[in-house]
Amino acid sequence: MRNALLIAVREFLDNIQTRGFWFGILLVPLLWLMASQVPLILARKGTPTRHLALIDATAGERLFDVVLHHLKTAESRRELFHFREWVAPRLKSGQALPAADKQPQAWSKLQEDLGPLMKVDAGRFAPPTPLNRLVALPPELEWRGHLSEFEGRLRDWMREERLFKPVGVDEEVPLFAVAILQDGPSSNAPPILRFWSANQADTQLQDRIVDALSRNFRSREYSRLGMDPSTIAQVEASQAQLMSFNPRKAEGEEQVGMADLLRQWAPSAFVYLLWIAVFSISQMLLNSLIEERSNRILEVLLSSVTPLELMTGKLVGVAAVGAVMTLGWIGSLVLMTFWTLHTAGAAALAADSIANRLPLELATLLLDSWLLPAFVLYFLLGYLFYAAVILALGSTCNNLKEAQNFTGVIALLMMVPLVSIAFIPKDPNGPVATVLSWIPPYTPFVMMNRVAANPPLREVIGTLVLLLLSDVAVLWGCARIFKTAVLRTGQPASLVQLARWVLGRD
Amino acid sequence: MRTHYAYSGSGRESEKLFRFCDGSIQDAWMSGSWDVLVDEERQEHCRAMSTALELRHVSKSFGGFHAVQDLSLSVPAGSVYGFLGPNGAGKTTTLRMILGMLSPDSGELSVLGSPSAMLVRNRVGYLPEEKGLYSKMTATSVIAYFATLKGLSSARANQRARELLGRYGLGAFADKKVETLSKGMGQKVQVLASIAHDPELVLLDEPFSGLDPVNQEVLEDILVDLKARGCTILFSTHVMSHAERLCDRLIILGGGRGLFEGTVSEARSLLPIRITLETAEGSPTLEILPGVHSMEAQSSNRWRLELEPGASASAVLEACFERSLRLRCFDVQDPDLHEVFVHLVGPSAREAALR
Repeated sequence: MRNALLIAVREFLDNIQTRGFWFGILLVPLLWLMASQVPLILARKGTPTRHLALIDATAGERLFDVVLHHLKTAESRRELFHFREWVAPRLKSGQALPAADKQPQAWSKLQEDLGPLMKVDAGRFAPPTPLNRLVALPPELEWRGHLSEFEGRLRDWMREERLFKPVGVDEEVPLFAVAILQDGPSSNAPPILRFWSANQADTQLQDRIVDALSRNFRSREYSRLGMDPSTIAQVEASQAQLMSFNPRKAEGEEQVGMADLLRQWAPSAFVYLLWIAVFSISQMLLNSLIEERSNRILEVLLSSVTPLELMTGKLVGVAAVGAVMTLGWIGSLVLMTFWTLHTAGAAALAADSIANRLPLELATLLLDSWLLPAFVLYFLLGYLFYAAVILALGSTCNNLKEAQNFTGVIALLMMVPLVSIAFIPKDPNGPVATVLSWIPPYTPFVMMNRVAANPPLREVIGTLVLLLLSDVAVLWGCARIFKTAVLRTGQPASLVQLARWVLGRD
Repeated sequence: MRTHYAYSGSGRESEKLFRFCDGSIQDAWMSGSWDVLVDEERQEHCRAMSTALELRHVSKSFGGFHAVQDLSLSVPAGSVYGFLGPNGAGKTTTLRMILGMLSPDSGELSVLGSPSAMLVRNRVGYLPEEKGLYSKMTATSVIAYFATLKGLSSARANQRARELLGRYGLGAFADKKVETLSKGMGQKVQVLASIAHDPELVLLDEPFSGLDPVNQEVLEDILVDLKARGCTILFSTHVMSHAERLCDRLIILGGGRGLFEGTVSEARSLLPIRITLETAEGSPTLEILPGVHSMEAQSSNRWRLELEPGASASAVLEACFERSLRLRCFDVQDPDLHEVFVHLVGPSAREAALR
C-alpha cells in the first residue's frame, strides 16, 4: 500500500509539473471567458461601419425616404440597447431602469431624464459606431437613369474592390453594398430590391431594406383596400402567449423559466468537461506507462513493487491529476460567475436582462443541485473504466505509435457519448438515452447528461450498480493483462492473447 | 516463534542443502524423508555463513524457446559473482527469475534465504540492462524515489541520494534534471539508485556497457566499496577483463545452460598452460618433460609447449634445470578468461549468430 501511494504521489507530481497540464486547466476558463465576453466586446466596439449606396429607380421615387427612415430607426434602437446596458451598472443603488418604451427614443434625451437616478460619477455615454452608413456614390458611378448600363459600370467597379472617399467621411472606405430600388412588374406588385454586394453571407442589411419595402407596400395596399393601417398593425402585433409547465416541479413552481432551461442544458456542459477530463487523463496515463516501458524503468519498479501496486499507484496518481484539473475548471467557472455578478452589480440584476441573470442562475445551479456530486461520482467511475483498459492495452505496447492503434479505437468508442450530448437533453428519458445509459462505458456520460431530468430512480441505481460491477470486472481483467504483459517485449499482443491472459491460460 | 520451511525435490537438491547446513539437517535427510525441515533461525545462520543466492535446476521456456535450462548456481554471501555469456544466453531471463518478475517453469530459487525475491525485495538492488530514468526528475529525487520504494523514509532517502552523488563525483549535478545529464552520468545515477537503500544483494545487468574508461573505473570503485561493506554482487558482462579483475566466482552461460561455474583460476585451468621455450643449443628431447601434452617447433631451437590439464609450469622448469638445458627464454602464458569464454561458448554463440 505504501508503495502504491509512493507511485501515486510521483505520478501526480510528474504530471502536474508539465506545461500541458496547466495549459489544459487554463484553457476551459479561457474559452468560457472568450465565449461570454468576446461577443459583448465585439458588440461594444462594433464591426466596422458598412457603407451603403441607395438608388431609388422607382417611378415615384418615394421609397428612398422609407428605407432611410427604417435604417435610422434600427440604428437608434441599437444605440438605445447599448445605452441601457451602459446605464444599468451606473444607477444609484435601489434604483431600477424604467421599462423600455415601445417607441425608440434618442439616448441623449434619455440620459437627461435619467440624470437624477444615476450615480454622480456616471460620465457620459458614448454611442457605438453605426452599423451602416448611407453614402453618395463616387462620381464615376453616377446614376444616369439606365439600369443595365449602370450595373455594368457598378460590376466592374466593385470587382476591383476599390476604396473611395464618400462625402462626409474622412477616410477611404470600401463600398459594402449598392441597393437599387425598382418598381414591381405591375402597379399592384411589391417593389424589387436589387442588392449588389460582394458579401453574400451577411444578409442583415438586405433583410432590413426588404422589410422596410414590404411594410411600406403592405400599408399602402391596406389603405388602397380601405383598411386602417394602424388597426392592422395593432392586430399584427398581437401574439398568443406561451406558458410552459413542468409537472415534476412543486406546486406553484411549475412554470418553466430560464433557470429550468439552464438546468436542462447545464449537464451537457458537464458532460463535455467529463469527456475532456477522462480523455485527457487517460492519455496522460498511457504516456507515462509507455515512457516507463520504453526506457525500462518498469523493470526497476517491478523489482521493488508488485504489478498490482504499480497499477494501483498509477491509477490513483493520475486520478488525482484529473481531480485537480476538473476542480480547477469548476472552481474557475464558479469564480468567474461570481466575478461577473460582482462587476455587473445588483442593479443589473434588477434590470432582469437575460445576459445579467445568467451568471446568478448558473451559480445557484452549481451550488444547489445534484450536478457536482454526480460529476465527481461519474468522473471517478468513468475514469476507472477507461484508465484500466488504457493501462492494460498500453502495457502490451512498446512505444506510443503501437499504443495509438489502440487509443484510436477507444477514442472512436468515446465519440458516441460526445455526439449524444446534442440530443439527450431534448429527450432525456427517451429510449435512446435509456439504452445508452445501460452500456457501462457510456453510463457516466449519458447519466450525467440526464441528471437534471430526474430519471427513474431504479435506472439511476441500476446503471450505477452495473457500472460499478463492470469497473470491478474491467480492473480485474486488466490487472491480469497488465501483470503478464508489462515485462514482455516484442510484438504487441493479439486480442486472442489478451483474452488468454485474462483467463489465465498462458 | 519457530517457523519451518519445507523443501522438497530430488535427492541431489537435498544433498546441496546438506552440504552447507549442519548435522540436524543431515539427520533429517538421513532419516529418508524427501522433505527437509529447516529451522528459520538456523537457516538464517546458514545463509549468513554461506550463500546469498542459489538456483537449483531452474528452467524457463517461452513458447517453444528454452531460455534457461536446468541452471544451478550458488553465490557465496559477500562475494562478487560474474554472469558471463553471449547475447541470448539467458542472462536477463535468469536475472528476472531471481528478482521474481518471472517464475521458473521448474526448479527452485533461494534469494537471501527466501524462496522469492519479492519477499526480500527491500534487501535486493537491481540495475536492468537497458538504462533509463524519469527524465523530468532531478538526480537526487530519482535516486531518493527508488530508495523510498525500497522502504527508506523520504528524508533518509534524500540524504542517502546526496551522499552517494557527492561521493561518486556527481555532487554538482544533484539538483539537475536527469534529461540534462550525459548518458554516462545518467547511468551512474541509475547505478546509485539501485544501491541507495544499502542492499545485501545487488544484481547488475551489464553495468559497464556504455561507460567510458574513466566512468568504468568509478563503477569498479562503487562495486569494490559495496563488497567492502559485505554486499553480495552479481553482475553480467561481456567484458572479460572486468570479470577477471572483480569476480570471486563466475558462471559462463551458453544457450540457456551453465557451461562453467567456479573461480576465475578454475576457469583458467580449463585450458592448458602454454610455454614458449628457447634453448641455446638445438633439439633437446622435450617430450619427456613432465606434463607436456604437445609441442610445436617454431624454429630450430624455439618451441611452443602445451601442458596437460593440471600440469604446472614450474615442474617443467625444474625438469629443464635437471637436464641442464641452457634456456634463453621460458615464457609461461596462462590462458585468460577471454580464451576460456570463446572456448566454451564459441561454437554455440557463432551458431546462434549465424542462425
